[in-house]
Amino acid sequence: MWMPMSMLKHRLMKHIHSWMALLQWQPERMMPRIRSWLALLQPVLMMQRIRSWVSMLKPTPMKYIRLLVLTDDLPCASLALAETQCVHPDQRAPESEQLDTLPGRPFHDIHIQAQSRLDKIARLIHFAPPATIEPTRVIEPDELAQLNDWLGRIWDETSSYEENFRQLADQERLIDEQQAALENFSHLNIDLGMLRTKTRFLDIHVGLVPRENLRQLEGAVTLAGHILHVYMERGDNTHVVIVGATDAKEASLDSVLTAAAFQAIPIPEELNSEPAELQREFASRLDAIVEERTTLTETLRHWSEPYHARLREAQRTLMLAEPLVTLDNALRSTGHLAHLAGWVPARAIDSVRQRLDAALAGRYDLTVRDPLPEERPLVPTVPAKSRWLTPFSLLVNQYGIPAYGEVDPTPWFAVTFLLMFGMMFGDLGHGAVIVLAAVLARRKLPKFYLFGVFAGISSMGFGLLFGSVFGYEDILPALWMSPLNDPILMLKIALGWGIVFILVACLLGIYNRLMIGDRAGALFERHGLVNLLFYLAFLWGGYGLATGAGFGILPSLLAIGSLLALAAFQWRHLHAPTGEKALVVVIETLDTVIVYLSNTLSFLRVAAFSLNHVALALAVFTLADMMGQFGHVVTILLGNVFILVLEGGIVMIQVMRLQYYEGFSRYFSGTGHQFLPLRLRRRTAAS
Amino acid sequence: MSQVADQAYLNTRVSVMATRLFDPSLIERLAHLPLAALADEFDLAALLDEHITPAVRRRAAEQSLIQLLLSELLILTRPMNVNERALVLDWGRKYALYNLKTLIRGKLRELDRHEINDNLFELPEHIRLPDKELFGAENVLELLRRLEVGPQRQIARQAREVYEQQREPFALEAAIDQRYFIGLVHRVQVFGAPHQEWLRRLISAELDSIGLIWLLRFRFTYRLSPSETYYWLVPSMRVLTRERLLRLVDLDSFEQVLDALPEPLRTRCADCGSIAEAQPRLARHAIDEIRLVLARSPSGVARALAYLMLRETDLLGLFAAIQGRLLGFDDRIIQHALTQIEPGVTGS
Repeated sequence: MWMPMSMLKHRLMKHIHSWMALLQWQPERMMPRIRSWLALLQPVLMMQRIRSWVSMLKPTPMKYIRLLVLTDDLPCASLALAETQCVHPDQRAPESEQLDTLPGRPFHDIHIQAQSRLDKIARLIHFAPPATIEPTRVIEPDELAQLNDWLGRIWDETSSYEENFRQLADQERLIDEQQAALENFSHLNIDLGMLRTKTRFLDIHVGLVPRENLRQLEGAVTLAGHILHVYMERGDNTHVVIVGATDAKEASLDSVLTAAAFQAIPIPEELNSEPAELQREFASRLDAIVEERTTLTETLRHWSEPYHARLREAQRTLMLAEPLVTLDNALRSTGHLAHLAGWVPARAIDSVRQRLDAALAGRYDLTVRDPLPEERPLVPTVPAKSRWLTPFSLLVNQYGIPAYGEVDPTPWFAVTFLLMFGMMFGDLGHGAVIVLAAVLARRKLPKFYLFGVFAGISSMGFGLLFGSVFGYEDILPALWMSPLNDPILMLKIALGWGIVFILVACLLGIYNRLMIGDRAGALFERHGLVNLLFYLAFLWGGYGLATGAGFGILPSLLAIGSLLALAAFQWRHLHAPTGEKALVVVIETLDTVIVYLSNTLSFLRVAAFSLNHVALALAVFTLADMMGQFGHVVTILLGNVFILVLEGGIVMIQVMRLQYYEGFSRYFSGTGHQFLPLRLRRRTAAS
Repeated sequence: MSQVADQAYLNTRVSVMATRLFDPSLIERLAHLPLAALADEFDLAALLDEHITPAVRRRAAEQSLIQLLLSELLILTRPMNVNERALVLDWGRKYALYNLKTLIRGKLRELDRHEINDNLFELPEHIRLPDKELFGAENVLELLRRLEVGPQRQIARQAREVYEQQREPFALEAAIDQRYFIGLVHRVQVFGAPHQEWLRRLISAELDSIGLIWLLRFRFTYRLSPSETYYWLVPSMRVLTRERLLRLVDLDSFEQVLDALPEPLRTRCADCGSIAEAQPRLARHAIDEIRLVLARSPSGVARALAYLMLRETDLLGLFAAIQGRLLGFDDRIIQHALTQIEPGVTGS
């Protein structure tokens, strides 16, 4: 968006002052900001914030709507629904067989053609896109048809300019080929006048032919009593001379030459006598083409200028007509009555009704109901709206969209991702570089740069805890300790974190199944309640073993009992011969034990990478100490770049792996589809 | 990995799929089956829907048979390497070219979007043309120019240049067909032994059959000159090679051409009095060759392509029977239509 220079300057100065205030400690300016930060810590505000975060975990309740309107009112109704931005069309055909026609189809087709024409025109006529779509108005089919006809007429004229530009390009290419051909001829010791003149007995064609047609053409000219000689190959074209006797077969050769896209190259008179004159001639012809192109561009500009405003308005009209075009497949009608169904967030039902009242003055029938259990897979999921969570939701969506009813894992994903990334890559300096890089990339990655900022801040936070700045551990006193000081403690913390992570993942999985009414699944399916019981018993016994008390009878009974319950459930639900069932159940049961053990141990990598970070820095310092002063600096710089790029990348991948495999596979199906409401496009791609 | 192991999966797949090919008794029976039996036996319930017109039912049947063929094609391409997949997909792109011809004819006759759309095949993503963009074109030249910025650029460029100079649909469609077959021949050249030998045999089986029909039709029905006729033909890599075609197109009568044909085409076409008589015999020759490749070739890709060609011929036969029933023809006419079906040539 363009901004006046004065405003830009003003904003810049404001930022600089606020930064200066941070650096120079001006209490009178800092106090309001600090107060607002402290206010966030007040219990009421904290609770509100926590509530809003928890509400993000819950899916937005949706309603199914069925709207009946007069077919003539469809443009008006579609615009009204688009303005609410709350209706996700349901593409299923209605049950009633009477509703069998697509009332929006003619409108859709005209719109597609009109938009295509406008796009083609815009390639040649550069008009400014509409600044705003406001005020909105209903586009009726007649208006759209008239606009389409007008665009057709304008495109007819514009395409003639396009054709002229193409002809100029062809002429330019031909002169280029001609220059190359004649340059080639100038080295020959023959009378080139022969090539130019058609003799009584000899028929000569000099020109170029697309390379892929050459072989067929060669055979064909042979049949016509001619011979074909290739004298030069250039790009996709081959330069040839075709010579033969002038006889009755010539006519047939012409049609073959045409079919083979043969292009004759004229041989100028001056070729033998004055080569320099010929070159000047070529240069002047090329200049003439350039001039002609400039003139043509100018003519086009003059011709098109009066149309700019109307073309802009045409673009606006097409944007306003888009809602009905988007609805095309979801609309059905029987004569004068049209049917539309869709999904609407429950909280938005009233606003939809109000908007329809205002637009249609009561000439509609809207029925609302809850989604049926069998419709659950069709209900779209409304994404949690939070600027801070947007980059994380992009990563979650790589795995899948939460199904309707499922907990949106984005907030949990964001928190755990940052904690694990920070711990594995804790360094104040490296974190600061990541933040800086992310801020610098904010224009290129507007939706994703905050991810880098948060990851960098997390890394900086853990850097402070570990006392690490670009790998140096003696500059800043650690708020806690360096990972290398007590690796065993780090491993224990990672293990504990892994257990908490897996427990929460299992609980979320159970909650998700209960939300969709799958009680048996929540109890007995993989990662269900019985599975969780097994894991807890397993942990209990494991803790006993680690502390020397042995696995214990109760944990053993619980673990075996829960495994048997899982096996029995599987046995009941498997449809296979007995032998195969037995094999599958044994393997699956063993797999449950192995998976939970390996998944828990998998989190040791969180500690391993925090140790790895320190170890890599030590390796860089050892190498640097072996160098001279200059080499030392270079090695430190390159070593830090290496750590940032390679280790940073690997840590990122490892955290994603833990999230996807150890987390999402337990509680997140990702089989949903996104809520994409009907809406008005506010700006064009160009604007 | 050894050659045998490399091809094992594909060969097994082809062998399993080959059990779906129609046996001769079924082909014989097709002409006598009523519409209800056809719908029942081949799972084409739409054929019996009385609420839609016969033309729409015909179109629906054709569409579902083509989708069946192309879905099998896509299954077979899954275990293939890049070159194999490219060859098989290129073979299947003929349906995209039928769509292109339909679009061109529609634009030439200034038909509206629906009329054109009703005659287009719905194709899978790997094969289809950018139909939406092409629909936006206002005329044939614009359509071909749009197609030039895509995988069909060679065909589109050739077709546009021909159309710009000759302005007639025959040359345009001949250029499209010619470029399609030349593309297939080029694809085969990149394979090594044993694939190339069998693929040459397979593609040549189609080319020999189609090439001879084109030769006879262009020379003696359309009365094109020998040189122009030759220009539009695509030499095969086995029987109707470049040198043989050069000799054949220069002959002045239908009988002279048949007499000068090399074996085995000469025996096949002996005593034919017209192109219509030669057509089923050439089709038989091509089918025998393709069956031989399917039965004996060690090359997985050659067998896969052979299977697809035979499957296509079977489905064309089935479609001919359906069409005959929908139009109310008797068994004898349908039987005759079944004999006219050539591998690789649909009705479009």
